Amino acid sequence: MTTAVISKPLTPRRVMMRRALRHKGFLMAGTVLALIVLAAIFAPLLAPDDPYEQDLLARLQVPVYLGGSWDHPLGTDSLGRDVLSRLIYGARISILIGLIAACVSAVIGTTLGVLAGYFGGRVDKVVQFLINVRLAMPVVLVGLAVVSLRGGSLWVVTSVLGLLLWDRFAVVLRSATMQVRSMEYVAAAEVLGAPLHRVLFKDILPNVMNHLIVIATLEMAHAIILEAALSFLGLGVRPPTPSWGLMISEGKEMLLFDSWLIATPGLAIFVLVLCINMFGDAIRDITAPEGRN
Amino acid sequence: MTYAKLLCSAVALGLALSGTAHANKADDTAEVLFAKDLDNPDIYFSSAREAVIFGFQVFDGLVYLNPKTNKYEGDLATSWKWVDPTTLRFELRKGVKFQNGDAFSADDVVFTFNHMADEKTPIADPVVIRWLDKAVKIDAYTVELKLKHPFPSALAYLANYDAIYPAKYYQKVGSAGFAKAPIGTGPYKVKSITPGTGYTLERNEDYFGGPKGKAAIKTVKVDTIPDTNTQLAELMNGKADFLWQVPQDQAQKLKSLNRFDVVNAPTLRVGYITMDATGRSMADSPFKKLKVRQAVNYAINREGIVKALMSPSNHVIDSACNPTQFGCETDVTKYPYDPKKAKELLAEAGYKDGFSIDLYEYRDQPLAEAMVGMLAKVGIKANLRKMQYSALASKQMKGQVPMAFMTWGSGSIEDVSAITSHFFEGGPTDDAKDPQVEADLKKGDSSVDPAERKAAYSAALKRIAAQAYWVPLWTYSSNYVMSKELKFAPTPDEIPRFFDMSWN
Amino acid sequence: MLKYILSRVVMAILVALTVSCISFALVYASGDPAIAIAGENATPADIAHIRHQFGFDRPVPVQYGDWLWKALHGNLGVSHYFNQSVASLIWPRLEVTMTLGLCAIVFALVLAIPMGVIAAMRPNSIVDRLALLIAVMGQAIPSFWLGLLLIVAFSINLGWLPASGTDSWQNFVLPTIVLGYYAAPAIMRLTRAGMLEVLQADYIRTARAKGLSRRKVMFKHALRNAIIPVVSLAAVQMGFMLGGSVVVESVFALHGAGFLAWQSISRNDLPVMQALILIFAMFYIFFTFLADILNAWLDPRLRGR
Repeated sequence: MTTAVISKPLTPRRVMMRRALRHKGFLMAGTVLALIVLAAIFAPLLAPDDPYEQDLLARLQVPVYLGGSWDHPLGTDSLGRDVLSRLIYGARISILIGLIAACVSAVIGTTLGVLAGYFGGRVDKVVQFLINVRLAMPVVLVGLAVVSLRGGSLWVVTSVLGLLLWDRFAVVLRSATMQVRSMEYVAAAEVLGAPLHRVLFKDILPNVMNHLIVIATLEMAHAIILEAALSFLGLGVRPPTPSWGLMISEGKEMLLFDSWLIATPGLAIFVLVLCINMFGDAIRDITAPEGRN
Repeated sequence: MTYAKLLCSAVALGLALSGTAHANKADDTAEVLFAKDLDNPDIYFSSAREAVIFGFQVFDGLVYLNPKTNKYEGDLATSWKWVDPTTLRFELRKGVKFQNGDAFSADDVVFTFNHMADEKTPIADPVVIRWLDKAVKIDAYTVELKLKHPFPSALAYLANYDAIYPAKYYQKVGSAGFAKAPIGTGPYKVKSITPGTGYTLERNEDYFGGPKGKAAIKTVKVDTIPDTNTQLAELMNGKADFLWQVPQDQAQKLKSLNRFDVVNAPTLRVGYITMDATGRSMADSPFKKLKVRQAVNYAINREGIVKALMSPSNHVIDSACNPTQFGCETDVTKYPYDPKKAKELLAEAGYKDGFSIDLYEYRDQPLAEAMVGMLAKVGIKANLRKMQYSALASKQMKGQVPMAFMTWGSGSIEDVSAITSHFFEGGPTDDAKDPQVEADLKKGDSSVDPAERKAAYSAALKRIAAQAYWVPLWTYSSNYVMSKELKFAPTPDEIPRFFDMSWN
Repeated sequence: MLKYILSRVVMAILVALTVSCISFALVYASGDPAIAIAGENATPADIAHIRHQFGFDRPVPVQYGDWLWKALHGNLGVSHYFNQSVASLIWPRLEVTMTLGLCAIVFALVLAIPMGVIAAMRPNSIVDRLALLIAVMGQAIPSFWLGLLLIVAFSINLGWLPASGTDSWQNFVLPTIVLGYYAAPAIMRLTRAGMLEVLQADYIRTARAKGLSRRKVMFKHALRNAIIPVVSLAAVQMGFMLGGSVVVESVFALHGAGFLAWQSISRNDLPVMQALILIFAMFYIFFTFLADILNAWLDPRLRGR
């Protein structure tokens, strides 16, 4: 087997694969992330209870590690809902919001950044202006204002975050595109008369992809934290949605006496965001090991 | 090395900090925490309860409703009498001085009332004074109030809301200036005031006495902390002396700690669900059908919620008013918890598979979520939408709310005109627009004969229940938590009187 | 240099105008403000009266122009909720928020720069990994959650620090830690990257070759150069942090501008919301402008651009 592997030519992709398999952070964060994603996908199979099902007679039962029963391993909340089930279903909300917000902002930011970096001049000026305007808007405040006007829902929160978090994509991809553009093969393609969309999609985009992925992980983590913050301030997704931020918000009333109620979802957010960030760092290490910072 | 330094300084900081100073008995300062703030110290321009509470300490009205005897006593007035159903004559107290030294006389009453009753003055809650046509000075210490129409609750509003301002000073500084430095005759005077943050009161040493009596505690500091758990944190670390409206779960836990006095006191507040029975929020509102409204009434396990989530002193109500209020008919159609019947009624109304609807709420989210769960069991998928009270109230007045879980404190007025008439007399808050109910309520509101009023309100409330326009839910009580040093007996009108507080 | 500054000034003004437009539009879209102000017992006549009194019956562009013109003269309108001038409400609170922001950025710098330097001295060592972990954790801990945990630990269990309020400097300790820890990772990463880059540079090698001590090289030569981008990042972070103070101030009931913003949103107090979004944006614009100028001044290569 080993010989067979070695005998294959070392393409850049294969080099990265090998680096990835040797990168501890990548493996660790990747495993945990995979587990969380799997839990989210198979939530109906994994969750012991319906996350919405209330049992007013079984409220505020403590988790097993504090001496509770195995009926509710992580206890029940103030309406008697099973915390473990809500946690598992909550992974869906966080991942969904993170993914969609990151995708929306990636599309906006990449478009602006690549255009600015490729065309330069006036286009660049306009994009820089837009980036400055966007950065000047205080995200949390604008998010709160929009949600309070439109009413909180998964859809509103996701789109607000998606429309607000594109700045880093634009900034990074702008400079990355500038670099790529100055390379010879792009100039060659232009001289050969390749159509614009071909140059952009075949020559530029693949070469800035690694930046795109790294920023996407960062922004995904950012969106997850922001959703939690908005929900915590009471202007995020709508109850009884099992969002982790909302679970903290609901549990914070009991902070002094049943602090495990906020410890569980808070830890979940922490682990998820930590792993996404570590994963992003790892991808950066793997794709460009010389440029770690 | 840098770390070691950091660590050292952190430890040093910690040591320096241990033992922070607290306001308490030793320096005669009671620290009170409120969740909502005093939006405007010119209390006619606020519709918040916090302004009423503030007004009780700093100002005086003509009369005072003694919470112990439930009888009206003269405050700035010494006596009064109904000359006819629309004329009320007051003899005023002599020798009273405002906190800035101005002498109190009939001019102050006439100015304050005529100014606030004027349509052009944009006061927050016109109900409190707009029943008044004008105030007339008879002599320096006699005033006559001319009413627009007979209004049986006039004394209640005069006692709770209609504070007397110093005419000269108010005219000089205007409403905005008055809000920065309010002057009254009351047992406390304002030492400092920061909008949105809180205020500090100091005992008025020259207080004339009166039914409120002199204040026992020298300084009362009121701070706004919206978050319950932050309030509790301040209580636990000894900073706060007085909390109220503490949720039941926390109140119970605090009680079990045995470090604080936890008192549960009834209030006039009731909870209810209003349903758009006229179809103004949506043309095909399912609540246009009586059977659907009845089904909702049967679907909600009010007993279960009260038992599990509320304090034992709260109870389920069946009528659209608080049973302690004058005219509250309780012998009405009842809808005990019966999900099976609810399902049958829904099927009969043509909603065999239920329907989906927006349920709005502004407080008590756990209660709302519990009801959402119960409605789901009979096939009604209620999407919970939380809004701030003022925003939700305006949306409901515009007729854009199909279903809402609300509460109403009746402005501490012990009369159904403050609740049933408010919601069912055809105004913008009226989701039923039932002419029969409206007529009965109008009759009750403008009569001065108690028996006649009772009969009219009874007819209205019976019809409201039979038509199931609301789901009357439960009464609310308020949990007061106090430090062991503080002595205070809560009153059912949800108006804490700081001048009745003392140290143990 | 002058040309550069001028172009930055023009950009800053354009951005400021656009943001003011957006914040006005955003808040204006909230539906009929008159009903919200009128309160729960208002009649339609009261509402019409209020609509006229506050000028809500004029065309929107006129209202915007009027608002902007007055804002430029320091008149930010009257709070619907408090019935007081917005400026008089906001100034004392801005003081609180600025204090918090300054404390937090100092805390972040004090925490992050030494960490970045130490990490850069031994890249990929355990110290470096640890510093990175602390940084990554700072980004992953929800600040409101950290705030709540600190309240439980320091204010309830230990009783060292107050949980809320603005009375004394003690009130600022916990919020400073939470907000500062949020800003530290970016500064740490930049310091480390800058140091790594500078340490590769020729003059440092020369200095080392000349026999200067390692510590002297690190702090006297390398750090001085690596710190340039950190300073401008700190300025930008400061702008961000003022915006981020909403969450932290809300957790600690610190009566600053962020807390006021959150409360104004739930009170539907439009003039205050508008003014605060505008002011936070202006702060950000000011600090980025400052950072740009600082950069150009410290790094002459940028001036030509």
